[in-house]
Amino acid sequence: MSKLYTFLKYFFITFWTVFVVAPFLWAVSTSFKDFQSVNSKVTYIPWLDFEPTLEGWRVLIKSPAKGGVDIVEPYFNSIFVTCTASLISIVLGTLAAYALSRFTFKAGFVRNNDITFFFISQRIMPPIVLSIPFFIFLSTIGLLDSLLGLVVVYIVLLMPIAVWIMVDFFNRVPKELDETALIDGCNPYQAFYKVVLPNSIPGLIVAGMFCIIFGWIDFFFAFILTFTEVQLLPVKVVALNSSITPWWSLSASALVSVAPLIIVAFIVERYLSKGNLSGALK
Amino acid sequence: MEEQMAKIDLSNISHTYNPLDPKPTYALNPFSMTWENGKRYAILGPSGCGKTTMLNIVSGLVRPSKGEILFDETPVTDLKTEDRNIAQVFQFPVIYNTMTVYDNLAFPLRCREFTKEKIEERVKAVSDTLNLSSFLSSPARKLTADQKQLISLGRGLVREDVAAVLMDEPLTVIDPDLKFRLRRNLKEINEQYKTTLVYVTHDQNEAMTFAENIIVMDQGEIVQVGLPKDLFEKPKTTFVGYFIGSPAMNIFHSTVSSDHEVKINDTTIKTNSNLGNLKDKNVKLGIRSEFIELAEKEKSNTVKIKLTRVEDFGNFKLLTGKMGDLVIKSKVEREKPIPDGELNLYFPPEKCCVYSDEKLV
Repeated sequence: MSKLYTFLKYFFITFWTVFVVAPFLWAVSTSFKDFQSVNSKVTYIPWLDFEPTLEGWRVLIKSPAKGGVDIVEPYFNSIFVTCTASLISIVLGTLAAYALSRFTFKAGFVRNNDITFFFISQRIMPPIVLSIPFFIFLSTIGLLDSLLGLVVVYIVLLMPIAVWIMVDFFNRVPKELDETALIDGCNPYQAFYKVVLPNSIPGLIVAGMFCIIFGWIDFFFAFILTFTEVQLLPVKVVALNSSITPWWSLSASALVSVAPLIIVAFIVERYLSKGNLSGALK
Repeated sequence: MEEQMAKIDLSNISHTYNPLDPKPTYALNPFSMTWENGKRYAILGPSGCGKTTMLNIVSGLVRPSKGEILFDETPVTDLKTEDRNIAQVFQFPVIYNTMTVYDNLAFPLRCREFTKEKIEERVKAVSDTLNLSSFLSSPARKLTADQKQLISLGRGLVREDVAAVLMDEPLTVIDPDLKFRLRRNLKEINEQYKTTLVYVTHDQNEAMTFAENIIVMDQGEIVQVGLPKDLFEKPKTTFVGYFIGSPAMNIFHSTVSSDHEVKINDTTIKTNSNLGNLKDKNVKLGIRSEFIELAEKEKSNTVKIKLTRVEDFGNFKLLTGKMGDLVIKSKVEREKPIPDGELNLYFPPEKCCVYSDEKLV
């Protein structure tokens, strides 16, 4: 019985690993192929099945004038927009979450929970509903097709995530911690910066991770709110797909676009494995 | 160092958590009290009786709905927590996870900008008292629960100039052996530095052994303030009689039969209380099981009971007997031979307390 269990356990783990990793390996292998190796017959292993070439990768940094696609600029655009929007969302979201967790608000029938729900409800709507208002809004203030405009929109999208995670986190930090800091002689701001915030690093990491992921992978708003001036990475990658799909450079660009998330995952994983996030994750 | 310890006056304080309600329920009913400088107080009462609210009012975490707080005659009611000179220790350990033990202990002093030398000196003194010296450089989060609570306690004691150290059941998470030693340490600290200590607990033994003055609370009301002996021998209300002592005070329904006597069923019991105004009224007679004596034979102030149970507690025996429907408990010495079946118990008149409307006559 236990042998069967062990077998099944390893079988499913292996199955799942293959399921997850195989597309990546295929993408890695494809990114080194040329037109021939992709289109003539199925090939898997470099040097054995096909002669690897760096053409798929070179195209990514070549300017369009020289027949390349140049994803370098969109790449840095994406990094800038994601990081700026995440940072601002985390700062504002954390402050909002702390207030929602510690103070009682009343406005008519609106209470703390209603305000928290209001934040989260921004994510309940399908994005398509928001696209027209955002478009009109950005064009009115003249930020359509600009990095700043994208940052503004991404803050709207990411802050609910930060508020949601941090409210939950702060609610688990006993209020006695703040009270002790007050008794020890901090004013409420010092209590927050010196005591509550350092204790909340695990929560901040989780919130930051989610903000970066959701910011980085967004295609929809980047597609609708930009045209020619500014392009973000997901839009650029999709745009690679023309009448003849360049599978090699598409694979290469897919790999470089998931790379930052893999790095984020590795950093967060260190905290996860230490058990430091136990309070931050359900 | 400037002496800043203070007399604390609570004047006409009351508090409700729902002040906007047309009929607010009061967590604390109006009361006035003075905590003398340098004394040890225990606030004793069942859960939810307003003990913690009272502490939070003194430390400023809660602003009382009505009334005034004075430290040395200076009103502090509107002063914020961080500007009052109060230390408070909570029931569960509150430590600054990201700091070392040393930094935890030094934090209250750093916030108040003490000199480095002074901080070092105080942290050393406190960590010696609390046996934390060997952990000073380790991260506070790595310590066990009771060591963490020692840190909380240490942060309360590290400032010499506090008006009072308020402790909200601080020893709940600490094992009994260490508890005993810590209570003694706290007493020593109080005697040495003359720090006012206020100790909230629902454990009567803790209160009795710790404090000079015990404040008994029930349902937002201060029922009795007094020395442990007073609470034990002359409980002001039947609640105090029930709440303090183990087993609880024996309390019997009875009627007043003369100026000094009450009747339980048909037995007349003489007391030292003056019952002239209560003739024929229904009252309650209370007597501690410790004061009830075994009598050889029937005489005045004895009751005849049917023995139902004898429990041996090692240092004493607890007799449970019945007189009609009434249950009587009596503590007797272990060596005393207990006759079977019926026996007589003597109620010393000076130990009998008579309660009318639950209050001591």
